[in-house]
Amino acid sequence: MAVHERVREYYEKELIELRYADLFKEERVIHSPQGADITVEYPQNSNLSEVINFCANNYLGLSFHPEVLAAAKAALDERGFGMSSVRFICGTQDRHKELERKISEFLGLEDAILYSSCFDANGGVFEALLNEEDALISDELNHASIIDGIRLCKAERHRYKHGDMRDLEHHLKETQNKRFRMIVTDGVFSMDGDVAKLEDICNLAEEYDAILLVDDSHATGFVGKTGRGTHEHHDVMGRVDIITTTFGKALGGAAGGCVVGEKVFIDVLRQRSRPYLFSNTLSPVVVGATIKAIDLLRESTALRDKLDQNARYFRQRIRDVGFEIKDGFHPIVPIMLHDAGLVQAMARDLYAEGIYVVGFFYPVVPRGTARIRVQISAAHERHHIDKAVDAFVKVGKKLGVLK
Amino acid sequence: MAYAEKAQRHYSSELTNIRGAGLFKEERFIKTPQKANIRVEYPAGAPNQDVLNFCANNYLGLSSHPDVVAAAHKGLDTHGYGMSSVRFICGTQDIHRELEKKLSEFLETEDTVLFPSCMEANAGLFEVTLDKDDAMIADRLVHASIVDGMRLCKAQLYNYKHLNMEHLEEKLQETQSCRFRMIITDGVFSMDGDIAPLEKICDLAEKYDALVMVDDSHSTGFLGKRGKGTHEHCGVLGRIDAITTTLGKALGGAAGGCVSGRKEIVELCRQRARPYLFSNTVPPVVIAASIRVIDLISSSTDRRNKLEENTKYFREKMTQAGLDIRPGVHPIVPVMLYNAKLAQDVAKDLYQEGIYAVGFFFPVVPQGQARIRIQISADHEREHLDKAIAAFAKVGAKYNILGKKKDEVIAMYGM
Repeated sequence: MAVHERVREYYEKELIELRYADLFKEERVIHSPQGADITVEYPQNSNLSEVINFCANNYLGLSFHPEVLAAAKAALDERGFGMSSVRFICGTQDRHKELERKISEFLGLEDAILYSSCFDANGGVFEALLNEEDALISDELNHASIIDGIRLCKAERHRYKHGDMRDLEHHLKETQNKRFRMIVTDGVFSMDGDVAKLEDICNLAEEYDAILLVDDSHATGFVGKTGRGTHEHHDVMGRVDIITTTFGKALGGAAGGCVVGEKVFIDVLRQRSRPYLFSNTLSPVVVGATIKAIDLLRESTALRDKLDQNARYFRQRIRDVGFEIKDGFHPIVPIMLHDAGLVQAMARDLYAEGIYVVGFFYPVVPRGTARIRVQISAAHERHHIDKAVDAFVKVGKKLGVLK
Repeated sequence: MAYAEKAQRHYSSELTNIRGAGLFKEERFIKTPQKANIRVEYPAGAPNQDVLNFCANNYLGLSSHPDVVAAAHKGLDTHGYGMSSVRFICGTQDIHRELEKKLSEFLETEDTVLFPSCMEANAGLFEVTLDKDDAMIADRLVHASIVDGMRLCKAQLYNYKHLNMEHLEEKLQETQSCRFRMIITDGVFSMDGDIAPLEKICDLAEKYDALVMVDDSHSTGFLGKRGKGTHEHCGVLGRIDAITTTLGKALGGAAGGCVSGRKEIVELCRQRARPYLFSNTVPPVVIAASIRVIDLISSSTDRRNKLEENTKYFREKMTQAGLDIRPGVHPIVPVMLYNAKLAQDVAKDLYQEGIYAVGFFFPVVPQGQARIRIQISADHEREHLDKAIAAFAKVGAKYNILGKKKDEVIAMYGM
């Protein structure tokens, strides 16, 4: 048998196994812009349905915000569509520098470097700064892109138990003979919406002379009183050395990420970081719209305040009607059902009620912790949230989760 | 500051070393859309200068083409700016599917899956399709993103000498005990503009029962009679198992890449490729514009024909003017200078003449092969090409390299 047939047969079998294990990912086709109310075709070729979206990272509702759209259009007219280049050949416009300045000011750090995505930022930051003389000490639940970045780096790898400061300290002690140590953590963890204990981590980093890197993708723009992120929330602004974050979630949601930190780090990344040197510059339209998103957030905290109120309101109501949720304040609200089959049935029935949410279960989260992850947005109005709670009650009763 | 001062000192001295070695990359600030004529601030703080751009991957001149910009505007209105989601949660729109279908039709493949960039397509593909029982057999000069993708894959790695089919065959013989083998190559190599011999590669793949993967980022849209890429140019349409390519060069140049090929490989990427699962969907504005790009190049070959004519003209005239260029047909035209300092000096002088081109030298290209890499675009008019040729003639005369052979240039300037 020729290789193509053998491969075809082999991969087909893999795909069937995924379906059989209920791990096959079916995409739902959206026929509208991103927002609270969207039009979806699911399953494929079925009639379109109007549903309320509770699974986007559109935390601030900027993905289809009129001022962001206007800025995108202005950028298209003034600076074109694509640059067809990496940054250092002919892919740097004045606006790229402006965005780098604005994001570093916003986050309270010295300088910034843009990447095509935060995935690429995390892919390129470790290898450029650390080598085999160094150690990386990483929270075990860090995002996949951090894991891949660490896989590409020669530094010795250590993992500490999720949020466990004693275990972190243990690894800091173990690595004292290394040239540099870097502690790596998500600011907010995407499955639970829990926030890294940055004050404790900063204290340990200072005590043990380690560099601290925080991926704040699920926080930039809305966590903290003025939306600066997890470091503001924990009152450690100025004590985090490096922040990686995305423009692909709260800040408009199109594309792009960055590494922000002291100038010397950023200078090294510009010379050496592979995804920066070998992948396209951010397109002018994304740069223009992201500048606008940051300006909006600097002018007013109205959007993050509304998101905060929405998240509190939903958390209160969903708990009052009898669901178990993970504690916290973050717009990621995990509704714990513990059973993978139940989670899938719940998500399906909620969709039939016009509520679009996604269930997560093993291997994405640990066995026995299956959940529906609800994501609240400033684009939601009270009536959206009330409708979701009502649907949860109805479906919860039907499936025997609620009495 | 939490980290030791020794860290800061260390990184500062690294930067000093980079500068000392003449390898420091300075960015030039462009004040206009990407096109043939651009306005640049360089060095930082200097007055703006109008120059002709000969270093973009804007091969078809679509990066700021009015139809493409108009399609982007329309996409913003109908499908919004961002999706704030990965594909499989709530980041797939009807237009994403439409673009995937159009790319498959254009490339004449079974199916296509989009990635945020071709860098991420290459990062995701190998780990998904191959494991430790398998072998990757890669041309030594494949792009950095392929190198990183292979570093993330557990399959055994073999390299063959650049474009060397005998050496490839040796490696195929060496790996006969592996479950699957994949031959991995760029369609066009970015530093020389040389083209992989895909017909021979496909023959060897069939003889030894191996898969073929081609990164066609420097050819999709313009190489081959209908611009489909290296596989069309080499007459092997339908014989490549996986093509990765970019929307970030000829096809509008904003962002996005894809894996296109056999449908099982594509579907496995959808299910398992980490950058697909864990990085954002391509934004609607880019999708809408890219659909327009594919429509433009599917309905007419005018732009690729103009690019081909421009390239032929430029290569001929440069040779006549006495410059040493690598032979070939590709719009990447390496003007050989051999010496790193000479390449940098020539680039600087060309810039003074209003020609924006970039010198490449070790470690980007092998020691002693320093060059200026010129990239021709369909956006260039004859007068632009003539101006560049005249500038090269003037600067070449200043350095006394016109009509000189490689050995003579090296004798004057060293390697």
